[in-house]
Amino acid sequence: MKPAMKADILKGLKKPPLGPVLTASKILLASYILLAIAAPAIAPQNPYDPLQIYGWEASSPPGTMGGGGFRYLLGTDGLGRDIVSTILYGLRISLMVSVTSAAIAALIGLTAGVSAAYFGKWVDAAIMRLVDLQLSLPTILIALIAIVTLGPGIDRIILALIIAQWATYARIARSVALSETNKSYIDAARLMRLPTARIIFRHLLPNSIAPAVTLIPIEVGHAVALEATLSFLGLGVPIDKPSLGSAVANGFQYLLTGQYWISLFPGLALFGLIASINLVGEDVRRSLDPRNHPA
Amino acid sequence: MQIQSRFCSHRLAALLISLTFWSGLPGSGHAQEELRIATSYKLMTLDPHYANLNENTSLLSHIYERLVYQDDRLDLKPGLAVSWRAVSDRQWEFKLRENVRFHDGSPLTADDVVYTIERIRDFLKSPSGGFRSYVTGIESVSAPDPLTVVIDTKGNIPNLPLSFSSIFVMNRPAQGFQTTEELNAGRAGHPPVGTGPYTFESWSSGEVLKLARNDDYWGGRPGWPQVTFRVIESPAARVAALSTGEVDLADAIPARDVASLKQRGARIASVGAARINFLQFDVERDRLPGVTDKSGEPIANPFKDALVRRALAMATDRGILVDKILSGYGTAAAQLFPGGLPGTSETLQPEAPKYDEAKALLAKAGFPDGFNLILAGPAGRYPGDGESLQAIAQSWARIGVKAQPAAAPFSVFNTKRAAGDYAVWYGGASGEAVDIILHALLASPDPESGNGALNFGHYRNQAFDAMLARAESIQEGPERNKALAEATEFVMADQPIIPLYHFHHIVGYGPRVASYAMHPRGWTTAMQTLAATE
Amino acid sequence: MPLISVVLGRLSQAFLLLIAMSLIGFIGVHSVGNPVFNVVNIETATPEDIRQATIALGLDQPIWRQYLLFINNVVRGNFGTSYIYHLPAFALVMSKLPATLELACVAMLIAAPVGTGLGLLAGRRSGTIFDRTVLRSSVFALSIPSFWLSMMLILLGAILTGWFPSGGRGTTARFLGQEWSFLTGNGLWHMVLPALALAIPNVALIARLSRSGTIEVENLDFTRFCRAKGLSSRRILLRHTLPNISVPIVTIIGLQFGGMLAFAVVVESIFAWPGVGKLLIDSIQLLDRPVVMATLTFISVAFVALNALVDLFYAVLDPRVRLS
Repeated sequence: MKPAMKADILKGLKKPPLGPVLTASKILLASYILLAIAAPAIAPQNPYDPLQIYGWEASSPPGTMGGGGFRYLLGTDGLGRDIVSTILYGLRISLMVSVTSAAIAALIGLTAGVSAAYFGKWVDAAIMRLVDLQLSLPTILIALIAIVTLGPGIDRIILALIIAQWATYARIARSVALSETNKSYIDAARLMRLPTARIIFRHLLPNSIAPAVTLIPIEVGHAVALEATLSFLGLGVPIDKPSLGSAVANGFQYLLTGQYWISLFPGLALFGLIASINLVGEDVRRSLDPRNHPA
Repeated sequence: MQIQSRFCSHRLAALLISLTFWSGLPGSGHAQEELRIATSYKLMTLDPHYANLNENTSLLSHIYERLVYQDDRLDLKPGLAVSWRAVSDRQWEFKLRENVRFHDGSPLTADDVVYTIERIRDFLKSPSGGFRSYVTGIESVSAPDPLTVVIDTKGNIPNLPLSFSSIFVMNRPAQGFQTTEELNAGRAGHPPVGTGPYTFESWSSGEVLKLARNDDYWGGRPGWPQVTFRVIESPAARVAALSTGEVDLADAIPARDVASLKQRGARIASVGAARINFLQFDVERDRLPGVTDKSGEPIANPFKDALVRRALAMATDRGILVDKILSGYGTAAAQLFPGGLPGTSETLQPEAPKYDEAKALLAKAGFPDGFNLILAGPAGRYPGDGESLQAIAQSWARIGVKAQPAAAPFSVFNTKRAAGDYAVWYGGASGEAVDIILHALLASPDPESGNGALNFGHYRNQAFDAMLARAESIQEGPERNKALAEATEFVMADQPIIPLYHFHHIVGYGPRVASYAMHPRGWTTAMQTLAATE
Repeated sequence: MPLISVVLGRLSQAFLLLIAMSLIGFIGVHSVGNPVFNVVNIETATPEDIRQATIALGLDQPIWRQYLLFINNVVRGNFGTSYIYHLPAFALVMSKLPATLELACVAMLIAAPVGTGLGLLAGRRSGTIFDRTVLRSSVFALSIPSFWLSMMLILLGAILTGWFPSGGRGTTARFLGQEWSFLTGNGLWHMVLPALALAIPNVALIARLSRSGTIEVENLDFTRFCRAKGLSSRRILLRHTLPNISVPIVTIIGLQFGGMLAFAVVVESIFAWPGVGKLLIDSIQLLDRPVVMATLTFISVAFVALNALVDLFYAVLDPRVRLS
């Protein structure tokens, strides 16, 4: 995509403040994070502990009284796991996977992008060739190829998401850093023979970081959706420790029989999570975007 | 403003109207005499000797036929052969049915049977194998007259006729052999020609097979002028196709969908499959991957001790597997075939879980606190496979054995199992007769004889091997069945595997089908249906 | 402007992409497992059968030799034979293409007019309740993972109401030597839900794009001039605003069409729609390497080619852009 075109599209995606919806999504996102952290303390059941699960209570509809001494508010899945607990623990996994991968991808992408801009020549060519290569395919396809190559497992899916996402950061960081390198203060630093590392880490990185950092929340949202999609396709997290995506996938086969609760509730939780991350992420980007704060 | 919104609503209305207009009734426009079947069997090839999988053989049995037919009690019945007998220990004679014609009009002769055997044994380098094992014991085959086939065997093979219940007979072409590619090309190449009740019309691999009635069929006029198989691999989509009336019959219905299908007016037929799903232990190696004590330190292979195997078997709640995971469409297993089939034991009955006794046994074996293991298995290959792993882990947790379920796609699972990555795993086995499974699963592994081909845990029990060999030397009949049952009882006391369940084949059908006769081998064919008279 | 060098650059990049992807995909599928277990009946086969089958598929060779053989064959236009179906892999992909193409086209035929219409109206009345509703719902529409959207469509459109079939392609008719669903009523009926699943995120995207374009154009002097001249709002919107915002919209349509090829993987799997995407997932699960490689190559080439076309189109229409 050419820069001018990208600018057009970005402009198209920019939108006016959403007011109450934004506030609501901030509250929602905050409570998601709190719930994920507190999951082991507040979940009525530990869905990873086979001793707490009663196979005979599988596929109970919402509201059934369970043998564990509590009520299955949202029912149980095909194996007898409490849906509320599955959602809470799944939320933990989904958030952990996506935040970790987005953070590492940002770190790698930033470093690569800034290095490309600073060193220029073959470093720039090599890094940007790789970035272009990756960005010429849809992210989902990259993630799919990566996860097939790496094999299943939580660590592998984090790796696959990093592979799928780092290039976006690299491109933005490079373009910002490139405009920075041409500014006089870098020339001055060079003339003063400051060490390269010092120039990069003290001057270039901090000034290039902001635009890339504003991307992180949105990319976390993408990562949640990507992880869920891969898990849904059966290529993601292990079956006994479901993320929100695989919880939805587990329930898909029951959907047609009318046991809607097994996939509906985790799906709603997932949808709310992605929507709130996206709304808050857009807001973060807008408020941090220097173009929105004319000097 | 008004103008604009009118513009918008016009468009919307037009869209809605056109959608309604296009809709039509589901399934309309089909000839009333066409039988439409949604099948899970994906029909990978039109070559009947390419791969010995129900995936192919179920659908190809419309076009091709076998010398011997297995009925729903798994007893052998005449197919293209009207009779067979052992002339001596090393020679068999098959008499062919008269006046059978292939779809191209040529008569069925003994030479075609010779061609079939030669094609499998000498010509095909199919990546399938499977069929080859049926003919490896054959020394030579000849056709003394057009309706007699004489087969000399390398050793005594009392159950040779059973092998011929799996081999489809092809007709000998003018010269050479027909290649898989020629057959797969369908109408553009050599469309498959058999003696079966339906003739080939067209196909699209993994999608559709269209058949037409063979009016000259030797067994009388087949019931449907047209048969169309639609390959629908997603169970949910098969159920949907049946409930909307897009198809008349759908196979491999998930048990959990049965109730809602019945509510919508579909009828259901089911039968216990002639097969077993089980847990298998590695009893050979000294250390096993993933088997540790409670603190995570590797321990010596606990499964060498029959007490441990017994304890785990006692702590396995088959009730949950059968009633919850298979929704009642499964039979708890204590041996290799569902009770009642030839060669099964009457005394072996599935037991309810006895956690206290199991815990005591485990303590006696030196594991009062239990241990940790990884329970491996395929996902999505057999009904209830992935879920079973987790349910079993729940059961075993009650005696202190912490099992971590690890499900993988079937080929991945097999690659890892073959590489020795697993200590205990979920498996499945099926066969034409119970002795074939006994042989593959529990006989001491021996690459030379091919015994123990599925005995991946390397269980060895010489007393059982001897009992099985004695039973197999007996001709088909009650004597042989009794000896097989006794051998089974003997070996199951040692618990080399934990039999879990025999799942049921479930088929649903709509109003245009009057009844459907299930077969324990799990075939889905038009021949099993009876058309409703309208 | 040396167009040749641009084209050459594009080509070399596409070539590099294909090499990289084929290498990764090849090793990836190889490392996952042995496809022999999907071809041989493991329940009846002997170890000898398995060994024979491994040789027959060429899997006994070292991986680098398998890869060189594969590249050698691809150069001659041969992607190999499917392990599972025993058919030429590329022909198999092509035979599934009509299903994917017609689904993507129908989805775009829904998304483009609906999205543009909503965007024009929202932009024309920017700040009104209608505008805010369009904007908010577009955020939600873009947030829904496509598999969840598909499932909800099945739940609402098929299970609860029974209006539409929940999967499959329905009746097809023959046209240009291929089977198509859009030619039969039953086929179209089957297409509604999966097409909606692909269309809804694109409606949102196109609506947002055309909304912002409309706002921009409506504030330009010539629009004000038109209004001053007394032209009706409808006429201004259709005759002046729409052509002015059409370039980015056509661009995004082109780009998203490529994206649909990728997202078809998810939607086709859920709706059991026998297209290229479902073929990819199925062959990954069956480790049918020739088909995986042929499908990946096809999707990448199509995607890259589409992107190049879009860029070209953009350069021709918009003089501000220079291919560089």
